Amino acid sequence: MHEPHQHITRPVYDTQLFGARRLYYRYPDKTLALSDINIDIAEGERIALVGQNGSGKTTLVKQLCGLLSPSSGEVFYKEKPLEGEHLEKSRLKIGMLFQDPDDQLFGHTLLEDTAFGPRNQGLSRQDADHAALDALKRVSLIDKAYKAPHNLSFGQKKRAALAGLLAMQPDVLFLDEPTANLDPRQEQVFLDLLKDYSGTLICISHDLIFLYELCNRAVVLDKGRIHHDYTMSELVSQKQSLRMHGLDFSFRLVINDSIPEKTNTTLKSSSLEIINNNQLVAFRDYQYRYPDGTLALSNIDFTICENEKISIVGENGAGKTTLLSCLLGLLEGNGDFYFAGTLVKPRQRKALWQQIGMVFQDCADQLFCPSVKEEIEFGLVELGCSRTESEKRIKEVLALVHMEGYEERVPLHLSGGERKRLALACVLAMNPKLLILDEPTAGLDPQGEELLLSILSNLDATLLLVSHDIFFIRELTKRTIVMHKGRIIEDMPIKAFLEDERLGSLNGLSYSYRDKSSSTIRRLQHEHEHRHIHKHLHIQPQIHADTAHFDLYEHTHDHSHHFTHSHPGEEKEHDHAPHRYHDHNHPEHDGENNS
Amino acid sequence: MLDITNIKLPLWQLPVFVLIPLAVFALAVFFLKRFAYKRSIPTEERDWSVPPIADAIYDSVINRWDVRCKIVTILAFSFAIASLKHLTPALFAIGISSLVLLISRTSFTKALLRLLAIAGFISMFLIVMPFSVPVHSNDTVIIFGKMNWLVFNLRGLLLAATIAAKAVAITLLMEPLLSTAPLPVTLHGLSKLGVPEMAGQMVLLSYRYLHVFRHEARRMSSGMQVRGFRKHTNIQTLRAVANFLGMLLVRSFERTERVFDAMRARGYKGRFPEPAELHLKTSDLLITALWLAAGSALIIFDRIICQG
Repeated sequence: MHEPHQHITRPVYDTQLFGARRLYYRYPDKTLALSDINIDIAEGERIALVGQNGSGKTTLVKQLCGLLSPSSGEVFYKEKPLEGEHLEKSRLKIGMLFQDPDDQLFGHTLLEDTAFGPRNQGLSRQDADHAALDALKRVSLIDKAYKAPHNLSFGQKKRAALAGLLAMQPDVLFLDEPTANLDPRQEQVFLDLLKDYSGTLICISHDLIFLYELCNRAVVLDKGRIHHDYTMSELVSQKQSLRMHGLDFSFRLVINDSIPEKTNTTLKSSSLEIINNNQLVAFRDYQYRYPDGTLALSNIDFTICENEKISIVGENGAGKTTLLSCLLGLLEGNGDFYFAGTLVKPRQRKALWQQIGMVFQDCADQLFCPSVKEEIEFGLVELGCSRTESEKRIKEVLALVHMEGYEERVPLHLSGGERKRLALACVLAMNPKLLILDEPTAGLDPQGEELLLSILSNLDATLLLVSHDIFFIRELTKRTIVMHKGRIIEDMPIKAFLEDERLGSLNGLSYSYRDKSSSTIRRLQHEHEHRHIHKHLHIQPQIHADTAHFDLYEHTHDHSHHFTHSHPGEEKEHDHAPHRYHDHNHPEHDGENNS
Repeated sequence: MLDITNIKLPLWQLPVFVLIPLAVFALAVFFLKRFAYKRSIPTEERDWSVPPIADAIYDSVINRWDVRCKIVTILAFSFAIASLKHLTPALFAIGISSLVLLISRTSFTKALLRLLAIAGFISMFLIVMPFSVPVHSNDTVIIFGKMNWLVFNLRGLLLAATIAAKAVAITLLMEPLLSTAPLPVTLHGLSKLGVPEMAGQMVLLSYRYLHVFRHEARRMSSGMQVRGFRKHTNIQTLRAVANFLGMLLVRSFERTERVFDAMRARGYKGRFPEPAELHLKTSDLLITALWLAAGSALIIFDRIICQG
């Protein structure tokens, strides 16, 4: 591991807000979670708190919020130790946005929940309601003020949770994975809201592109210690350091030119005709209504062939999850649904699980056994596999997902990435004909994402990917189905989809800020110094005896020097073009007399 | 020697007395459920920028009534109904409850759904009691064919009908009690009446998080189903269900800790802010007195007039 350092070349701020000195924290089971933390946070700073899963980010934030007390050391807020009465008062000025908005929305209605903080700040009911309505207006939820939180969509819940904090007018906001599981449109809304916030911001996220857009300082945690404290630009430009901390997201920046060429804009009719021979799934004029009568899916018509790699995209609430539930046989709609050429009737519907496997968005929903081995065995027992066969398959899939030796581990105690791979292993062990992945990258750190990508890239199965992650869609699939308001509006090759900006804006899949940031980061990662002999042209003042004049004299010569240049490409050989002309300072020539 | 009136009917009439009414009742419940369920689905999204209970349509005497008086009165009246012994006053009680339902302008459909929820319980009484009450003097019993061991006691039917009427009357009052004020205000009223504040907070949070846990349980159940889990009567099913419940408990416990952290982070120190200021007016007391008088009148009618 490289040496930790705290190289801070960031703007100087006047007022210190937080300070931690020799901070240590141990969990009740004596595990050391934070070790020798020393940090100063000034008013107005925007800090990205990054590190692998389990590096201590959330624990540090809880310390700074006063939700946990240090085992030793001290935390200061506004130059006073964060304890006692000062802690009680400070909490009302420190906002903390939790990863799961359901943890934070405990009110009966949005208004009541949003007014909770202001009421605790001592505001009267009228004033608190006023502050709450104001905050709800800022997050565009004023029209849902009296709605119960459980009736909101995930994106709305996230914004409602933020409104609860904004209503308190906090000096500082702590954000834990603010954009996790949001579709791009909701993500953009959230980003705009946070950019508008004028106070101090400390954000935990694995999404470094989002952090690059939002923050200017980066603190890297590793095994409970601060390993780096520098600017955001420095963080993203240092690939080696990112890789050391499992944060290297550079694989996302590689421009993949191997996307299949656009053949036709819409595959709908043509694909149906071509694939009759090896079609695995076919929906014909399928629709589904929720028990309350809402039409969730209508006019669903699509086909999946064997060994095809397909993605389904669409905004939150477009009907993707409902379609998957129908595909899995959990829900039954009206219309024709064929699997492997057979019309799926109630009897076949109950047996679909033997052919279709799905990795859920939150893999905790499908892990409930006390050990990894039992978890994988669960499906195999239902399939009727013998003990020998089960043992063999467990070994195979654990090797496939790089989890050899994990058999006796408790799934609940695994990291997010490990759990995701375990969920994948459970499904793969059952040899499904169709593998469905619902938001596979949700909650994963970059290292986990990269590993998952490499595993999925090598899988030889029919794949249906549901995701907002355009990078994964581009890397793993060749065809995209676009859903909007319960209907399939496009079925097209991936290249055509990526080129179609109209679909991006329609479905909230536009990642304009991401594209811009990615491009900047890519350039930053390739800016570095070189020393080499080269030919160059330069201009200098002329001195003749007592006369100095500035007739510009141009000449070319060979010499070595430093310069910074940028070039595209990912660890590719590149030409430094020694004969190139550069504009640069040339101090050693200033004293030369040329006569 | 017991003085019992026996009515002998042919055996084929047993289904007429039991099965046909049961089938009619089941059909009625089925169709009413469908009707109520369809009616309960909002045809269009309501305006959530205004409080539902503040809508003009909900502005009734019961809405404006002090929540403490409302709780005390309705609970006392419910106990009065529960103490009735005769069918006629129980039917009067249904009349009063219906009148309150009408005055409170609460949803008739929701009240119907509540009634349908207790339909099974009521039907069991109506079927079982006529055949199971002990035969007393002056009872009238129906004997089908030669089945002397299975007598249909009309006193039992009357008793079951009385219980059913009382249950209906009390159930009809639940809408005016619970839907004429937001839940936090009702719980605030309870705490003002001496119920520990913590109990109210727990009910409020339970109400909010029951939905979350239900969704979690449903997702986990789907996770098991897509891996082939089907319930059987074997040890494997028992183990899987135990694991499922254990995991649900662990997740719920972890969530409660996170919710508590979130509450503390927003200044919670053991007390929720008061959702409303309660002011007792003379009119509140007057309504309480009138209603309790009606309850007393029912008891007098039941105990003195009907008994006599």
